[in-house]
Amino acid sequence: MCMGGPSLMRSEALVEMRGIHRRFGETHALAGVDLCLRAGEIHALLGSNGAGKTTLVRILAGLDRPDEGTVTVLGEPVTKFEPKVLRAAGVALVQQHFTLVPTLCASENLVLARPDGWRVPRQRSARARLGALVERTGLTVRDDVPAGALSVGEQQRLELLRALDADARVLLLDEPTAVLTDQEAEALLAVCRTLAAEGRALAFITHRLGEVFAGADRVTVLAEGREVLSDELVTQHDRAGLASAMIGHQSSGAFTHRGGRAGDRAAGRLVVSGLRLGRLHGLDISVASGEIVGVAGVDGNGQADLEAALSARVAPESGTVAVDGAVLEPGDPRGRRTRGLAYIPSDRYQWGLIRAMDLADNLELGRVPRWRARRSQRRAASAPSLGHWDVRTSGPAARAATLSGGNAQKLVLARELDGRPRAVLACYPTRGLDPTAADTVAARLVACADDGAGVLWIGAELDELLAVADRIVVLAGGRLLGPFFAPYDRAAIGLAMAGVHDGEALQPVEAVGDR
Amino acid sequence: MTVETAATRSTTPGASSGSGPGSGPGFAARVAERAGAGGPVVSILIPVLAVVAALAVGGVLIAFDGSNPLSVYREIVSAVLTGNRGFSDTATAATPLILIGLGYAIAYRARVFTIGGEGQYLIGALAGTAWVTGAGLRDLPRWPLILSGVVVATLAGAAWSGLAGWLGVRFGANVVISSLMLVYIADSALAWGVRDGIRDPESFVNQSRQIGRASLPELPGTTTHIGFAIAIAIVPLAAVLMARHRGGFRITAYGHNPSALDANEVSNRTVIILVMVIAGALAGLAGIVETTGVNGRLGAQASVGFGFQAIIVALLGRLNPVGVGIAGLGMAGLTIGFESAQREFDLPSSLVGVITALIVVFVVVGDALAGRARGDR
Repeated sequence: MCMGGPSLMRSEALVEMRGIHRRFGETHALAGVDLCLRAGEIHALLGSNGAGKTTLVRILAGLDRPDEGTVTVLGEPVTKFEPKVLRAAGVALVQQHFTLVPTLCASENLVLARPDGWRVPRQRSARARLGALVERTGLTVRDDVPAGALSVGEQQRLELLRALDADARVLLLDEPTAVLTDQEAEALLAVCRTLAAEGRALAFITHRLGEVFAGADRVTVLAEGREVLSDELVTQHDRAGLASAMIGHQSSGAFTHRGGRAGDRAAGRLVVSGLRLGRLHGLDISVASGEIVGVAGVDGNGQADLEAALSARVAPESGTVAVDGAVLEPGDPRGRRTRGLAYIPSDRYQWGLIRAMDLADNLELGRVPRWRARRSQRRAASAPSLGHWDVRTSGPAARAATLSGGNAQKLVLARELDGRPRAVLACYPTRGLDPTAADTVAARLVACADDGAGVLWIGAELDELLAVADRIVVLAGGRLLGPFFAPYDRAAIGLAMAGVHDGEALQPVEAVGDR
Repeated sequence: MTVETAATRSTTPGASSGSGPGSGPGFAARVAERAGAGGPVVSILIPVLAVVAALAVGGVLIAFDGSNPLSVYREIVSAVLTGNRGFSDTATAATPLILIGLGYAIAYRARVFTIGGEGQYLIGALAGTAWVTGAGLRDLPRWPLILSGVVVATLAGAAWSGLAGWLGVRFGANVVISSLMLVYIADSALAWGVRDGIRDPESFVNQSRQIGRASLPELPGTTTHIGFAIAIAIVPLAAVLMARHRGGFRITAYGHNPSALDANEVSNRTVIILVMVIAGALAGLAGIVETTGVNGRLGAQASVGFGFQAIIVALLGRLNPVGVGIAGLGMAGLTIGFESAQREFDLPSSLVGVITALIVVFVVVGDALAGRARGDR
């Protein structure tokens, strides 16, 4: 049970990184960064997108190598930057994008990552290993379904279990809470505390300031590859201070309130009627011109089905989606666009962009003419749009994969919101973005509504929805509850979010409202 | 190999952070992934170096066999490059490889890994031959007969391939397997056809009638049939369609991210069927062109493996239509040259197969090294 050996005292530095430099071509991703992780402490790494946080932890996990600088783990200098070496030294990384084998179940994923000897362990011993680990850590995960069928929260727990299986002394978490519900995030932070109390050093990357205060002991803030705040105690800072360190100027930490447009409710621009698909039981929504309707709720209550049906990607079992009276044909994405529905997908890299293709091609996706212009002409033609939407890039010839998260989302916006859409379906449009980028995206969507579009915003962050939406409905258990109007009653919305939910071990309802 | 490593580094700065490890199965998947990316220099250099390396190893084998590799290679070069005969034979041999290879290249761009070209080739040959030797039809004037035969064969190949695509779209059948299995059915259909269905009643062996008036004319001044000109004409056509037509964009985009295409441009089903139909049409065309241009009639032994060799041609050509044209000619030249060298030096006939296989191995190794140099493990 006791992880810390006798020699291991609290506050002993397990990891020391000194003067780390890393360049990717022109980009100076890390320009002399220090990081010290101590036993028993949780270290939060803050910074906007592209600040270098992920590169830093990737180096520490052996997935990348520094161009300059030294890394010492448990007193031993690291000379070979390979995952195997760093894993053996006791460093484990839980990556932002999961690395589970989706067709294997939890225990199989566990033993696959660290087999004993040369043969695959028997199912029974694999189960036993998982069971023992679950008991020790309190992280529950189902073992009777393939990992791909687990909820995001469970997949994350499994990733964490897998990291702990090797008894890692240093645990790195790359945006562990980005895909979690608030309850799951709180539970995760509690687990982190326990792990730290056992003598481990933890570091996690986050965009959410609240988590820093809720969970971390120390904080390092990166901006453009440099340290703004280095290894400081969290107790010496407040929200506003960290937020300004992160984005470089004083921020309220919350979204600018933009709601309160009346909209012309009589004439719905985006009208959903009697929609049934998967978890959705006959949904009716009508979004008026100039209105933003926020759909709040805990992920897994039909949000994915709603997105699939509204984007006309999947045919609903019954019901219709119409824009200005024109019904969308499922399986005809170009028809969706010509009818005036812009679609900002929840997963921009899966549904929104083709990473291996250049920006010009990505901008043309969905409206490619029968005969295309020459490549140089296409690229030249896309430059103004990239400039207008502030997509920061080396040029239209760059591949979409080279963009940071915020710029990738701006590229999606550039394509979808160009040409005045009649209605907008925005699914978690600010997910994984730093505050500045999130604010830009929100402003663009609000501008769309001001321009007369009907915007349906499916969101995870209640604060954000409260700030931008003119009306909020809650999707819970496949049904819509509400609507709620400003001034919003957080408690009522929180209750609605938990109302019909019958999922796995959730925290009490009250936690939802006041984050 | 150090040369290409350096070239890779210089052409793709900073690509290491983005792309993840390849998820697709096998060689073709990796080629498809890297086609287009990784810089033009590397993608041309690797097959060229692979051919050189394979010939070097082949030279060692020739020396073991007791011949002087240099004189063997000199013979190969002179057999291909000197005289009208070498050119004509090479062009003739390249025709089916280029046609089928183009189809594969387009399908592999979409990461739809059909390997059933041989079956589509046979079905095209069978249907086309049945048409041009059919009662009533064989008396048509020459050009209508040739053209209608080509159309029938093309449609038959397209349908055969489209069937594998449809099975995949409708029932989730793996295209690799279903397209390959359809080769064996096509082979059996051919066996039945020449024994029974379209058999020449006056012949003692199992074969069709002479194709008679449907015989393809030769290109002026050569002994190559006009099918070669068709194949060469389709190369730029395919290149332009892939680069400038909406369909080409969709095919490439589907290969990179089917989900994004599905959500924004067109349903995935359409693309799968489209590439399968294109691949089958070209293979079917190759089948009739080979029958009416070279063989003169269809026999039970029509399956000589063009459909499989063309996979290598497509991959060596980096899934690029122009590259496929060059690779097809190169492969044909190798075959023709070795045939001549075999007679001259009494070499084992398997040697050309060994060298072809070595080329593939070296391309794979080269790609892997280039990938490692780029840092995407």
